[in-house]
Amino acid sequence: MLLNFLKHRYTKRSFLATVAAVIASPVWAAGPPAKQSISDPVVISLVLLSLLLLLVIGILANVLLGAAKYEVEEYKKKNVPKAAAVLAIGLLTSISSFAQDTKDAAAAVVADDGLIAGMDSTTFYLLMGVLALETLVIVFLLLQLKGVIKRIKYSSVVVTESGEVVEAAGKKTGLSWWDKFNSFRPAEQEADIDLGHDYDGIRELDNRLPPWWLWGFYITIVAAAIYLYRYHVAHSAPLSAEELAIEMKAADARQAEYLKKAANNVDESNVKVLTASTDLDAGKTLFIQNCTVCHGKNAEGMVGPNLTDDYWIHSGSVSDVFKSIKYGWPDKGMKSWKDDLTPNQMAQLSSYILSLKGTNPANAKAPQGELYKDAPAVADSAAGAKDTAIAPAVTK
Amino acid sequence: MQLEKFYYDNKIVKAFGFATVLWGIVGMLAGLLVAIQFYYPAATFNFAPTTFGRLRPVHTNAVIFAFVGNGMFAGVYYSLQRLCKARMFSDKLSWLHFWGWQSIIVAAALTLFAGFTTGKEYAELEWPVDIMITLVWVVFGINLFGTIIKRREKHLYVAIWFYIATWVTVAMLHIVNSFEIPVSLFKSYSMYAGVQDALVQWWYGHNAVAFFLTTPILGIMYYFLPKAANRPVYSYRLSIIHFWALIFIYIWAGPHHLLYTALPDWAQSLGSVFSVMLIFPSWGGMLNGLFTLRGAWDKVREEPVLKFFVVAVTCYGMSTLEGPLLSIKSINAISHFTDWTIAHVHIGGLGWNGFIAFGMLYYLIPKMWNTPLYSKKLATNHFWLGTIGIVIYAVPMYWAGFTQAQMWKTFTEEGTLKFQFLETVTHIIPMYITRSIGGLLYLVGAFIMVYNLVKTAKQGSFIANEEAEAAPLHDEVPHGKRHWHSWIESRPLTMLVFSLILVAIGGLLELVPTFLIKSNVPTIASVKPYTPLELQGRDIYVREGCYTCHSQMVRPFRDEVKRYGEYSKAGEFVYDHPFQWGSKRSGPDLAREGGKNPNSWHFMHMFDPRQTDENSIMPAYAWLYKNDLDIESTPAKIRAMQTLGVPYEAGYDQKATAELEKQAKEIEKDLSSDDKVRKLILMENMQDLHKKEIVALIAYLQRLGKDIKLAPKAETASN
Repeated sequence: MLLNFLKHRYTKRSFLATVAAVIASPVWAAGPPAKQSISDPVVISLVLLSLLLLLVIGILANVLLGAAKYEVEEYKKKNVPKAAAVLAIGLLTSISSFAQDTKDAAAAVVADDGLIAGMDSTTFYLLMGVLALETLVIVFLLLQLKGVIKRIKYSSVVVTESGEVVEAAGKKTGLSWWDKFNSFRPAEQEADIDLGHDYDGIRELDNRLPPWWLWGFYITIVAAAIYLYRYHVAHSAPLSAEELAIEMKAADARQAEYLKKAANNVDESNVKVLTASTDLDAGKTLFIQNCTVCHGKNAEGMVGPNLTDDYWIHSGSVSDVFKSIKYGWPDKGMKSWKDDLTPNQMAQLSSYILSLKGTNPANAKAPQGELYKDAPAVADSAAGAKDTAIAPAVTK
Repeated sequence: MQLEKFYYDNKIVKAFGFATVLWGIVGMLAGLLVAIQFYYPAATFNFAPTTFGRLRPVHTNAVIFAFVGNGMFAGVYYSLQRLCKARMFSDKLSWLHFWGWQSIIVAAALTLFAGFTTGKEYAELEWPVDIMITLVWVVFGINLFGTIIKRREKHLYVAIWFYIATWVTVAMLHIVNSFEIPVSLFKSYSMYAGVQDALVQWWYGHNAVAFFLTTPILGIMYYFLPKAANRPVYSYRLSIIHFWALIFIYIWAGPHHLLYTALPDWAQSLGSVFSVMLIFPSWGGMLNGLFTLRGAWDKVREEPVLKFFVVAVTCYGMSTLEGPLLSIKSINAISHFTDWTIAHVHIGGLGWNGFIAFGMLYYLIPKMWNTPLYSKKLATNHFWLGTIGIVIYAVPMYWAGFTQAQMWKTFTEEGTLKFQFLETVTHIIPMYITRSIGGLLYLVGAFIMVYNLVKTAKQGSFIANEEAEAAPLHDEVPHGKRHWHSWIESRPLTMLVFSLILVAIGGLLELVPTFLIKSNVPTIASVKPYTPLELQGRDIYVREGCYTCHSQMVRPFRDEVKRYGEYSKAGEFVYDHPFQWGSKRSGPDLAREGGKNPNSWHFMHMFDPRQTDENSIMPAYAWLYKNDLDIESTPAKIRAMQTLGVPYEAGYDQKATAELEKQAKEIEKDLSSDDKVRKLILMENMQDLHKKEIVALIAYLQRLGKDIKLAPKAETASN
């Protein structure tokens, strides 16, 4: 039976293997450490909760170990020590592994930059996973404890017999919830339900269908009918295309809300070179995502011109670069980015591009366009110096 | 009644058993190599046959049709004889079946390595091999039914019901999905296009899982598990209900591979709900297996065969619960196109199919060599290595799938995508490394098994013809009340017909409307057939197995619309023979690739993807720059397309070659206007670029998803 199955040592071993793999994964997944979100109350309470559960696990394990030890002694007296010893070892190792698990999880919580509900979704699900795992362990320990207590009880009744006989004696006392759940017949009645078939020695029993199985099957059929009715008869649930429309609308509303707050009213007439490192980093990311295909990894130029030299086809002031990005030069293959990037992003991108001047990347494309005098750019960067103070205001 | 003496044929079982082990190792080695290619692209050896796109079909075909296939035949040939109390119908047919199947496997491996493929997953084999499969399957069928008909046991045991359903359904699936028009000896085009091709293909693909990897294996479980445990089967009633429910419901579930695609919504919904209804019929098999062990769990502790069976049946239960869950749209939105699917299939493949095969072999070899197993300890070690291997394989893949899906869907507050596609790949590289370790452990276990089985065979002596006795078939006097179902159990052909009707219903009700009702694939006027060069390029795309890593299906999600462009419409694929929607995104979607990157970028990128981006895991395709395009095949290809209803003007096949050359020269001109391309051409001493395959491939990629942009908005807005 399944309960017995759970108590077998191979179950425990595969359990340990799972745990080991699960522990390892968050460490790989965490990636480079970023901003911390440890101060978020949700994170704190979740971590506290996971620690609390860990404490419960510890206490339970302690009790169980005590009980197991007692059982081991008893078994030793009867010369059947193996099973219980394995049980104890299994428990010991699984507990220490879980302790490790939680620690790593907590580390992962602080390792990601918090964005959604105080943490990014990976962290959130990771934490939830840890909690679920801990709950599982608690249930597992409780079941183990129950089993051990039961065995101790019976062994005190039937002292002289061997372990297996003791268990058999235990079964006779009545049907367990598991037996009832599956509508099992007691083993002694097996002869009554033997159908008398004999296929190369294989007999068949006429056991009842497990009630939960049958009801489960009915429920899925009803659920299927309801699903089809809702989506295709009543049309009260959204199909794929409608789902997209709903999703886009919600996202647009969120974005509009954000842009209202985010001082985004930059355009070519008032754009300034941004020099704050957050802006330049953001500009670099945008560049890698959108520009490298034509301008090269290091802006050395591919199909599009080299952006690191002093020559510009459409002039090289920050406002000109901004304009080129915003409206593009579609006839020459440069697309307009105003629908893909926000004004602030275009300002960050322009600033990043101008910051590349003179970097002399390898494989640079030959200069194109006209020499652009640096003089206005100097003025710009002077203004940029002032901008350092303004920059955070622009980004936030 | 006079007992008849006869002999079971063990030699054929031995042969299939040997083939199971051999192809199992080969298939797993191929799997290990493709797993390594994910984090070590140099493992493609810059050699066309060993690039991922060609090796992956080799891996899947080897493990499904060679490993599990031979294992299935070994199990069927052993159990069927004993359940029918008869030798196989014809030894000649048995050996024809054996050698036929092995030659199919060899032909499959060679053609797949050579790039001869139909481009349809799990049905990649080209038309000559398809015909071989059909013939050999018929041989198997005659042998199967011949044996059943000359049986000495009146009633058919549940294992045989599953064998019958397997035979008839696989025949139906294979034939319907393989309708194709040959262009040459090793090239054909699917008769179906786009949405319809996708539906037929996944009706086939899903039910290959159902009727090649599940039902015959359930039959094998129903024989070997009670035998090994020496326990009666738990519930005959459960066998009846779960058998009929399983085969009826399974066939409907195919469209769950196409959720959120351009497949009509009603078909998607049918796929979803029938998958959910499949949970309990599938679990019937698991319960009947596990509950049969009731009262025999102490044996599981001692007996490696049972250990394998317990984990196999448990894995079967887990993956048949997971499968339906993945068919729920909101879960599929996360899992599809990611490694989650890979984890899911390997629980089934490694856990269910692999472990049943191993358990069966550990049972068969000692029986047929009349000796105990050489070492139970080694078998137990194999069991543990395998089990731990599965866990170490699956957990990182689940993690990778979930992580990647989350990264794809993450937006910044400004409303732009937070991660580039490549970032989401490099992020999960550690998981790829771990899973290959899991796979390696599993493979090491298999080698231990080989050693153990060889040693066992050496210490015993093989019984080629096993003596048995039974009374001939006779009309028995009914004793007591018979179960109503026993009526059909003594009528194998009725059972065949009933099974066929049941499995045909679901298929017909899904396929026919999709083919006949026009509103299912709304026409988009601006979608035009491919130019000859693009068509040739598409064939190269298929040949190199690009679809094994790149989808061509933008789903209606905010992140995909933002990342790739307008979501894909059914009407866009009407000239796609075969469809190339893909099932996994190890690279980005290409449905809207046309015009996104300049020709020169494609040229540089495919020559060495690491030059374009050092983190790329894509193989390099240097041979496309050396191989001349097979221009001579163009007219035949155009004519084949015309036969399939693609509206090229009459006589276009004669003009096609000239147009192809013209377009190729235009692309060459555009390419050579680029500095870097010129440098590469000089460095590599490339000649006559316009004649090379790469130009055709670039032409095809630049066409992808473009036509719809020319359409008036209203036409594409609906659907």
